Amino acid sequence: MSEPATFASPVVSIPDFHSGMGIAVPTLRDESTTTKMLVRADNDSAVAASLGVSFGSAILKGGNVLVAATRPTEWLALGDPASVAAVIDQLVAVAEESGNPNHMSTVDLTHGRALFRISGAAAAKTLEKVCSLDWADNMMPDGAVASASVAKVTCDIIRNNQYEQTSYLIASDRSSAQYLFDAIIDAGAEFDIAVV
Amino acid sequence: MTRLPRQPGEVIDRSVPLRFTWNGKATTGFSGDTIASALAASDTRIFARSMKYHRPRGLLTADYWDPNGFVQVGDDPNVRSGHRLLEAGMEVSAQNVWPSLDFDIKAANGLVGRFLTAGFYYKTFMKPAKLWPTYEKVLARFAPGGTIDLDSPHRYHDKRYAHPDVVVAGGGPAGMAAAIAAASVGASVMLVEHNHHLGGALLWGTDVDRATGARLAAECMTSENIEVLLDSTVTGRYEDNWVAIVQRSHPIAVERLIKARAKSLVVAPGLIERPYVFAGNDKPGVMLSGAVRRLVNMYAVQPGSRAVVFTANDDGDQTARDLERVGIEVACTVDARRGENIVAAEGSTKSVESVVLGDGSSIDADLLITAVGWTAPTSLLNLAGDRPAYDPAAARFFSSRLPDNILVTGGLAGDGSLDELIEHGSATGNLAARRALVVAATLQKLTTRAAPLAGDPGEVPADDRAPLGRNPHPELHRSSTHGIVDYSEDVSSKDLFAAAKEGYDSVELIKRFTTATMGPAQGKLETVNTVAVLAEARGETIADVGTTVWRPPYAPITLGALGGRIFEPVRVSTVQSWHEAHNATPILAGQWIRPEHYGDPVGEVRNVRSGVGIIDVTPLGKLDLQGPDVPKLLNLLYTNKWVQLPIGGVRYGVMCAEDGVVMDDGVTARLGEQHYLMTTTSSGAGGVWEWAENWLQTAHPDWRVHVTPVTTAYTSINVAGPKSRELVSRLTDIDLDPQAFAYMQVRTGTVAGIDKCVMWRIGFTGELSYELHVPSGFGLHVWDTLMDVGADLGVAPFGLEAQRVMRLEKGHFIVGQDTDGLTKMPSVGMNGLIKLDKDDFSGKVELGLALDHTASLALPRLVAIQTTDPNIVPEEASQIVRAGTNEILGRITSSRMSPTLERSICLGQVLPEAAEPDTILTVVMTTGERITAKVMQHHAHFDPEGDRLRV
Repeated sequence: MSEPATFASPVVSIPDFHSGMGIAVPTLRDESTTTKMLVRADNDSAVAASLGVSFGSAILKGGNVLVAATRPTEWLALGDPASVAAVIDQLVAVAEESGNPNHMSTVDLTHGRALFRISGAAAAKTLEKVCSLDWADNMMPDGAVASASVAKVTCDIIRNNQYEQTSYLIASDRSSAQYLFDAIIDAGAEFDIAVV
Repeated sequence: MTRLPRQPGEVIDRSVPLRFTWNGKATTGFSGDTIASALAASDTRIFARSMKYHRPRGLLTADYWDPNGFVQVGDDPNVRSGHRLLEAGMEVSAQNVWPSLDFDIKAANGLVGRFLTAGFYYKTFMKPAKLWPTYEKVLARFAPGGTIDLDSPHRYHDKRYAHPDVVVAGGGPAGMAAAIAAASVGASVMLVEHNHHLGGALLWGTDVDRATGARLAAECMTSENIEVLLDSTVTGRYEDNWVAIVQRSHPIAVERLIKARAKSLVVAPGLIERPYVFAGNDKPGVMLSGAVRRLVNMYAVQPGSRAVVFTANDDGDQTARDLERVGIEVACTVDARRGENIVAAEGSTKSVESVVLGDGSSIDADLLITAVGWTAPTSLLNLAGDRPAYDPAAARFFSSRLPDNILVTGGLAGDGSLDELIEHGSATGNLAARRALVVAATLQKLTTRAAPLAGDPGEVPADDRAPLGRNPHPELHRSSTHGIVDYSEDVSSKDLFAAAKEGYDSVELIKRFTTATMGPAQGKLETVNTVAVLAEARGETIADVGTTVWRPPYAPITLGALGGRIFEPVRVSTVQSWHEAHNATPILAGQWIRPEHYGDPVGEVRNVRSGVGIIDVTPLGKLDLQGPDVPKLLNLLYTNKWVQLPIGGVRYGVMCAEDGVVMDDGVTARLGEQHYLMTTTSSGAGGVWEWAENWLQTAHPDWRVHVTPVTTAYTSINVAGPKSRELVSRLTDIDLDPQAFAYMQVRTGTVAGIDKCVMWRIGFTGELSYELHVPSGFGLHVWDTLMDVGADLGVAPFGLEAQRVMRLEKGHFIVGQDTDGLTKMPSVGMNGLIKLDKDDFSGKVELGLALDHTASLALPRLVAIQTTDPNIVPEEASQIVRAGTNEILGRITSSRMSPTLERSICLGQVLPEAAEPDTILTVVMTTGERITAKVMQHHAHFDPEGDRLRV
């Protein structure tokens, strides 16, 4: 029999490149093991009201679950399995209490999507080489959510600063993850990007 | 020419000599030199030969636009020597000369010049047509330009997006002032300068000019709000101020294409000096005043020893003063403002030796300088819809109408003192920034994800700038003699007169007929003279004739820059690393990289038919459907019925577009009360999702259905073969007993210790098989486990090729291969799945008509075909014709040699008259040979009853 099963990262290989790890160096981290639960509900439903996250924004729920409104009537809940499950359970209860549970559905996309985090002062400069969004702070502030082509891969992008540092989460289809990872590394090479 | 003593404004670093070669000879220049200035400083007078007549050519403008300065640098052809900076070790050579630049046999073209007149491209080499291949070879030998080494390594080209508030095109005094003013009110600015230094004409100007330029440049370079892009060009302006910028010589790339969405664009490219048309105007030693001032003041190069200056403006006057300052004799200053003129430059073909003036006198000189006015490079304005108007008093074109997000400053806007130009630039930058900030605020207010905006964005400010004046300037285009108008294309004023006489008297026609303005200078030097000569030929004014339309790019652009970093996403399954480690031959299917086979596709087929094999079918499209109205949606998308599908059931369906044409097929399983999993073809996954959403969002927004693509949420593995049940049973808690889990059913459970797996019992290969859908993070684990625990059963992977063979043996069609854009559902033999008694479904009307009028419509039918000779496999797409004729009756859509049947098998579409079983068909092979084949009773060549599937 094979080894005990562990979640396999969609990034199998990390390309050779040099990083000096300077202060302004952007960093790239694979966070694909994060639980990702998609919630669908009507905008005028009790579930939407309970979430309280409007389209194009993301907020922290329950302390450590990031809920991003990626599309109208769609939310992506990111976090550890137990915390995400708790948030989902709460939503299910809200839906049932509302008397119209059929207006809500959930799909576990943990395995279907890769999740990368790119951080640092040069993160936006790296991303502007692969994505045509306006990364200015006023157009993409902390908590902003967008869907866009990143190196021609459709992605959900969440500005999610950490430790007072600029940081973006990028969620893509899992099958494109290795390609996307390589494309971001290539884009960040001029800024000495580091994989952490 | 030689190097002058140190000049106050020189940009060369004499402490850094650079060695390079020119036509194989060792030469030296300095850091900061252009190739042209270094060559000029080492007494090079002839830089190139002209395109058509191969006349010797020397420097004319000594900058980017110099039509005579194209050289080969190593394996890099068509390098602009007036612009490219010198580097140590460069191997520079002349282009398109044989055997040498000094003695070029192709100059014999000049002897037959009267046969190479305007439009000769369209008049010669036409007859006899059979000689064209010979003509082509000869003409190729005369093609201009450098040589390309196909073995040269590809260089890195980069791409970037930007959203600056203001883009300033041009880093002269007005452009720099605009950038500073815009930045000072908080705008983010991109300042784009074509040359290697900010400053424009100030660089070769007076002490005051240079000091002012240096001050402005320093302010730009140190401003936090200004990104200065040197050696970069705004090549085009497109809708909504989408501005393309080519950044050359970037530290990490030879070129970088910047796609900037500018909220305001300030156009400040300055003016481009215009040549004068007269006899001998292309002899080496005839230069424009700007060229001389650049060579003297920036590069400390002596351009000649005895000069005649023909001037109509202050720049010409200043050129004479510059020459006198450095000790070059000015033999004569000919002042056009006093009505004086020049009519010819005389001498050998390689150098000016004397100048003939308008009064007939002749003056010895090796340098003739002309300063007769400027061309306004209005390209970016034209691209924004402007139609610049000609002002004869100022002898140049000016903008006439522009949108609010484009502003003009500098010489393009008018004339003035340096202070006036800077003041206008500042006012323009300020206005551009204020307008940009209104646009930015509006965007921010309208963008959901943006930070909240306090207050109102306000109105777009009106243009409150004081306009620049227009200095009077004589209209000087052609003397009383004929000369070259387009140096790049070797087009003379005589050619233009001849073309006009032939009837090509519209400016757009004469351009194309003579190729004037179509060379590398792209009209910057020659457009106005072309128009002026045509106006003269027509007896009209320049304003009457108008100009050609400027199109992008502003300056020629490399294909590498346009290509940039090429994004070509590829998709792989979680098992890809295993496939690679086991020598799978990859095949690209759409974006997916898939294993075509593992070395022996025939063996893979036989292993599945006799034992068990596994295939990675992850790319199979998968959609999660949830909600109480899913059956309604399925009823709409598929042609068959779905309301009665039980939980745990699987059903096959075909999707047709509204015209009844087959668009996709697949199976859908009911996992729960309101939960379904749909599969589509691999290539149809995206399209079916969009199609379903389209129906839901437009036609049936009241239906409560959520559709979510989950293709890669699951790693999909098909376990196929008579021993598949045995293999899967070793790994799962799902009851595989045929009574408990029959064909066309679905179960969920644990596989190899992984929970939440979905298992279908279906069979594309025609064998007993189980399709496992495993959460992707554990896909490789399950695959490895299947291989481990099935070793004693002989389990082996099989690839796409083996699967295709087996599905063909089984007679399963593939949408897009066995169907095409006209194949309606009755053609594929599945009329039983068309349920016209449903309320509605996509294609219902068309399919109803097709069924009612089958005979008259004569729709082709998909049939199984076997060749008479079992060893002949017709290529896919081979035509099926009526015997003894070329009348097409159909085509082979799929064909393979069947390892199971050991004979050739096919599917094909044929007209009804040829579709009956046992019909003998004639198939035309790609060799032209005709073979016979027979229509079979069933689609399935193998196991038509399906016994192997249902065990």
